[in-house]
Amino acid sequence: MSPTHDAVPAVPTTPTPGPHNRRLTLLTVVATFGGLLFGYDTGVINGALPYMTDDLGLTPATEGVVTSSLLLGAALGAFLGGRISDRRGRRTMILWLAVLFAVGTLICTFAPGVGVMVLGRVILGLAVGGASVTVIAYLSEVSPAERRGRLVTQNELMIVSGQLLAFICNAVIGGIWGEAGGVWRWMLVIATLPAVALWVGMLAMPESPRWLASRGRFGEALAVLQQVRDAKRAEAELAEVRALAEEDRAAQTAGWRDLAVPWIRRIVVVGLAIAVMQQITGVNSIMYYGTQILTESGFDRDGALIANIANGVISVLATFVGIWLLGRVPRRPMLIVGQIGTFSALLLVGVFSLVLPEGVGRASVVLALTVTFLAFQQGAISPVTWLMLSEIFPLKLRGLGMGVCGLMLWIVNFLVGLLFPILVAGIGISATFFLFAGLGVCAMLVAKAIVPETKGRTLEQLEREFKQAGDPAATAEVTR
Amino acid sequence: MTVMVAVPDSPEGRTALSAAIDETRLRDTDLLVLNLALDPLDVVGMPSDLPITVRERTGHADLADCVLAALDEYEGKVDLLVIGMKKRTPIGKALLGSLSQRLLLEAEVPVLAVKR
Repeated sequence: MSPTHDAVPAVPTTPTPGPHNRRLTLLTVVATFGGLLFGYDTGVINGALPYMTDDLGLTPATEGVVTSSLLLGAALGAFLGGRISDRRGRRTMILWLAVLFAVGTLICTFAPGVGVMVLGRVILGLAVGGASVTVIAYLSEVSPAERRGRLVTQNELMIVSGQLLAFICNAVIGGIWGEAGGVWRWMLVIATLPAVALWVGMLAMPESPRWLASRGRFGEALAVLQQVRDAKRAEAELAEVRALAEEDRAAQTAGWRDLAVPWIRRIVVVGLAIAVMQQITGVNSIMYYGTQILTESGFDRDGALIANIANGVISVLATFVGIWLLGRVPRRPMLIVGQIGTFSALLLVGVFSLVLPEGVGRASVVLALTVTFLAFQQGAISPVTWLMLSEIFPLKLRGLGMGVCGLMLWIVNFLVGLLFPILVAGIGISATFFLFAGLGVCAMLVAKAIVPETKGRTLEQLEREFKQAGDPAATAEVTR
Repeated sequence: MTVMVAVPDSPEGRTALSAAIDETRLRDTDLLVLNLALDPLDVVGMPSDLPITVRERTGHADLADCVLAALDEYEGKVDLLVIGMKKRTPIGKALLGSLSQRLLLEAEVPVLAVKR
């Protein structure tokens, strides 16, 4: 029997203080610069876009292309990143990602026009997507078991912190040098600093012991474990690391052919639905276009840049609340309540954009509503999404399942990023929000119909449910 | 000498398994079950008087490769491979290929192919 999916944010048990512990903390800090860069590079466009629009002469369509080209790169980066880091090693991969982050940032910073900008954004996207899979893998492989469960959500926290950091930098730079030309270039170029820190930091960090073990390099794996565990534990854990490396191999068992089996197909469909539902709320229209939404509602540009910080702050706070909630309430109600909260907020944005006259009053109401929206999104929907995706797949299906769902998530994110400015220009801001609210209602109905509860249940129980869903007679059969 | 049976997650897999159990009895030998499903095989329903070994599938995304690799590994020990067969539409065959066809053509031991 596999363990039940229960209180995920496990309490770290008795960390024996010592040099190995400091080393582990340092390592976590360095690697999460990857998550921070992920957040900064996706969030910075929010404040940079209004200035860039003037300088580069962007239309709504090219705004969408500049924003979403990063997401297309990210889909590709997430897809390829896993394979490359399996072959070359996590550390090597993160070092290359840091270079990619820096190169992409510099290309964007010095872009003379839309073409070069899009090239730079795609390169940044490759780095973002690669980091999304490699940093998680690296951290979960070097951390001791009791910390592992929290890492997925901690990485999410680093991403929203990176976005908050970007919003703050945007407001500060826009506030001080807003009148100077090309101010957006300064907003972008700051992202080279954490990239350099990531690169320099990773040089001093060891390779993942589990990856070394999967290559049969057990001596090196033990040497790494001795750096990050106390001496007694290092020996004991080598066996565990070996077993986990085996498990990783088993996770890559399933292929496309297995989708011919009905219950497997049902699980993958539910996984895809969960991935789509997280993005279809339109969360990233606010994370990427928040400043513009606030400007359109009636704030001036500096005011909007500052007000947008509230969106970043609430995302970070709500993520903390979400992590706390995951350990205490069932996943399914948490997801559905999150969806009700988000589509209600979107509906109200639409209504107030329609009835209130443009001005500071309307802008303040819209800000209050986007903050409410983000509280439900980052405090309920997003944490449940990441956790459920890691919980619903049986071991042998996990590699394929997580792969296609991750790809799906980036593709929907890409479509939202691309279409949002075009929709706003075409049908107006309130109709656009009504559209997202409508999609949110559909998503909630789908969630109600097909998403299973995973908290407190074993994978075996879940599998049985998926098998019974299509064919009640199957359980009566003798051999399976 | 051993009978090997390939058991995918389908009705054909179950048919193959029961045919293989009969064949093992008849030959008075032992049975090697190659589980091609993604979940563990339910051993409760299998006869307890036969020497049965279950082998899980790992690392091979392609089912035919997985069976052929297992046959190579047990070369000289396995003298019969039992598989289930079903009729596939031409489109299904074009998309996924035919597992039984590959095994019939490429396995180096005699193959017993059972229909439902």
